[in-house]
Amino acid sequence: MDKGQNSGGLMSSAGLVRYFDTEDSNAIRIDPKTVIAIGVMLGVIVQLLTFVS
Amino acid sequence: MPAVRRPEGHVPFKRKLAWTAGILVLYFFLTNIALLGMQADGATDLFGEFRAILAGEHGSLLQVGIGPIVTASIVMQLLGGANLLGLDTDDPRDQVLYQGLQKLLVVMMTALTALPMVFAGGFLPVQQSLSLGGLAFDSTQIQALMFVQIFIGGILILYMDEVVSKWGVGSGIGLFIIAGVSQRLVTGFIQPADGGFFYDWYQIIFGDVDLAGDTLSTLLLGEGQILALLTTILIFAIVVYAESVRVEIPLSHARVKGARGRFPVKLIYASVLPMILVRALQANIQFLGQILNRTVGIPAMLGEYNAQGEPVSGFFYYVAPIYSPQDWMWWTGEVAQETWMVLIRISIDVTFMVVGGAIFAIFWVETTDMGPESTARQIQNSGMQIPGFRQNVSVIEKVMERYIPQVTVIGGALVGLLAVWANMLGTIGAVSGTGLLLAVSITYKLYEEIAEEQMMEMHPMMRQMFGNE
Repeated sequence: MDKGQNSGGLMSSAGLVRYFDTEDSNAIRIDPKTVIAIGVMLGVIVQLLTFVS
Repeated sequence: MPAVRRPEGHVPFKRKLAWTAGILVLYFFLTNIALLGMQADGATDLFGEFRAILAGEHGSLLQVGIGPIVTASIVMQLLGGANLLGLDTDDPRDQVLYQGLQKLLVVMMTALTALPMVFAGGFLPVQQSLSLGGLAFDSTQIQALMFVQIFIGGILILYMDEVVSKWGVGSGIGLFIIAGVSQRLVTGFIQPADGGFFYDWYQIIFGDVDLAGDTLSTLLLGEGQILALLTTILIFAIVVYAESVRVEIPLSHARVKGARGRFPVKLIYASVLPMILVRALQANIQFLGQILNRTVGIPAMLGEYNAQGEPVSGFFYYVAPIYSPQDWMWWTGEVAQETWMVLIRISIDVTFMVVGGAIFAIFWVETTDMGPESTARQIQNSGMQIPGFRQNVSVIEKVMERYIPQVTVIGGALVGLLAVWANMLGTIGAVSGTGLLLAVSITYKLYEEIAEEQMMEMHPMMRQMFGNE
């Protein structure tokens, strides 16, 4: 079927932001766990500060 | 620009689902955290009716939702579609540049969206005073604090999207849109208050709703919401049907006899996503009007606003999309404007959506490498050919050019028309036609992707064929 050929065509389902396989070798790499951890921490800190204020 | 690490090797399907679910939970968690320093009452949502498609939650850490990403995407689409960037997305070095530019734009747009929300026009009123551990903040400092929170929330959305794109199933943006729309849809059905579909019908059946006046209108448009229910169901059906309407171009393998395939050019070839860009363009025009109105004030010719902050006449009224039957059904007497004003607004909305839908669909196809040239190259590289034609890239491209541009334009215009039509008749939970279209088609795509994933899990050999690893 078509899917075998157009690995690029599948990009359409990938969304509005495009990510390519190649990446800047100098860029800082973030672990996906870090993203989730930062998100949870942000939420908890803001909520706690709301309680104490 | 910092980027989320790519997984090394294959990520098992269950792990992918776990990442996706984790991000979804985090998203809902963050939409429930109120901004520190915001006064709960008196706030009006700058996004207004566009909230359904821009995700996020008003007054929460995810105040900006995917708005900045969509706006940045518009800029990238326009630049890329008109070939002004001068970047070749097949070249690894340009890919790095493209990704960096994309992220930089989102960061800028986040700041640009958050700034007026906090500092101009009182969309997010601040508390009188705020003291944290003995530190007292004045109102300007509280505003700065709120800006920082919204900004971090906006950046977080970008990285959450990246995590889902690289480690999960589908894309984060799609996930957030589905999450927001589904939440509204479910609320619209079951909320035990006025506006909830089942609650209202309970009241109608037990005679708590006054049907004495115009019974038909109440049942269809008012509490009964029959029209909205029908529209919602119909949109579901139409999108799922349209996904399967396609022109299939037969392919056969050049060397392996009997290996045949088809290249489908779907009716909604460019998917429904370009639609969000058109709506976001309208949204940004409305934001401009709102902000100008709240801060400097604008002449009546440009726009007059009512107490709810909705434009009632002038330029900003005419370019505002129709959100609900109450906006245009002049014969019900609920519309404050003259009939001719309503008609102008409808025609502008339809024109904008149909033309905009077609244009952005073309750009979308170009920038996501789904155009005739790119697909011809992909088919050629896979060793396939169209039976009866020479095996040559430009020949395949010629055949593709017969179908792809036409189908793209028709599909884009059709989706635009569908979105306006659904908005005009109303939808359950006021998810808006675009929201519903997006949610259904993204879910459909997600389903296809999951099916493909599962097949690869069961037959590891398939992975090589699909060229993923």
